[in-house]
Amino acid sequence: MANLKSIKSKILSYKKTGTVTHAMEAVSAVKMRKSQERALSMRPYARAALRMLGSVSGSIDALRHPLTQERTAGKVGIIIITSDKGLAGSLNSAVMRKTEQFILEANLSSNELAFFCLGKRGYEFALRRGFEVMHQHTNISDGIDEIEFHKITDKVIELQMSGALREVRVAYTDFRSTFEQQAAMHKILPLSQKIMEYIVKEIPPDRGKYAEMAEEINGVQSYTIEPEPEAVLAALLPKLVNVAIFHKLLESKASEHSARMVAMKNATDKAREMTQSLTRTFNKVRQAAITREVSEITSGIEAMR
Amino acid sequence: MATFHLTISSVGQTHFDGEARSATFPGADGEFTILPKHEPFISTLSSGTIIVRPENGETQEFSNDNGVLECSSNKVVVLL
Repeated sequence: MANLKSIKSKILSYKKTGTVTHAMEAVSAVKMRKSQERALSMRPYARAALRMLGSVSGSIDALRHPLTQERTAGKVGIIIITSDKGLAGSLNSAVMRKTEQFILEANLSSNELAFFCLGKRGYEFALRRGFEVMHQHTNISDGIDEIEFHKITDKVIELQMSGALREVRVAYTDFRSTFEQQAAMHKILPLSQKIMEYIVKEIPPDRGKYAEMAEEINGVQSYTIEPEPEAVLAALLPKLVNVAIFHKLLESKASEHSARMVAMKNATDKAREMTQSLTRTFNKVRQAAITREVSEITSGIEAMR
Repeated sequence: MATFHLTISSVGQTHFDGEARSATFPGADGEFTILPKHEPFISTLSSGTIIVRPENGETQEFSNDNGVLECSSNKVVVLL
């Protein structure tokens, strides 16, 4: 039987681990709420942009703009959004699986693909598979400002405009609720009316604290447009793309934190469970030792008689 | 005094959200000022400075790079 001292040190280390994971759980909970709020704060912006777009052109499907044109030549760009750190359950592997599945289904060879990686795990994934990485950005902070973020979207938009890319998809984690996240892959370029409406609609989560904020997009008014509709569109469309990608990044961030929160909660529970069972073993061993000692003493006394 | 509601926001944050007496924008065809009860209007902005005169308080300035402005029913929205 294991000796008392080693069990005691084991209990101590489990307790310490439990404290750490408990703290990480609390931190993730706060971070998750912040990311969620931030994602939601973009909603008025996206709605205003879409409303303007509606006023200028009615529907963007009829537009002649490089960002809305369907092409057959060029590569398929994949923006893969993952976390930088682990300890978040199956979050990242789900995104990667989704990406692989898409590549398989669309039957694309690696020279038809171009990767834009946000987050270390996705970058490592793309490198490991030997895909071309056009842009990578790791260690993205939760409070990423848009100037920094524009570097990524500007590059994507530029490549789509020039015709180097025929479509752009985003692989990310959709934040459904605190306990439910799902890896998803969405097409964002070339833009279509459906994609745009989807971008605005999906901003509030399905369930939970902010779900009641879902609402309809309001109607169209007639405006004086200056200088001309094309110029307004040229300014608006990249903004919408930017909103779409940024929102997906924030959504992934919220998912990362909530996945980590749940993972850490499980770890804390497990640590507590282990501490309990080890304490029980410890007591048993101690009891056995005492019993043995007592019986040794009594048998010693018996022998002396 | 007549005012209008002005919102200036960029993707990540809102820079101004409140009532304003007037605001001056760097338009694509030159500078223009919006006063309350402006007609429905959409325009692009070129790089320059947006000057906002809020209902209460000091005049505020925002730098703008490539914004779009929308004005409808006494509400003005600027997306930077």
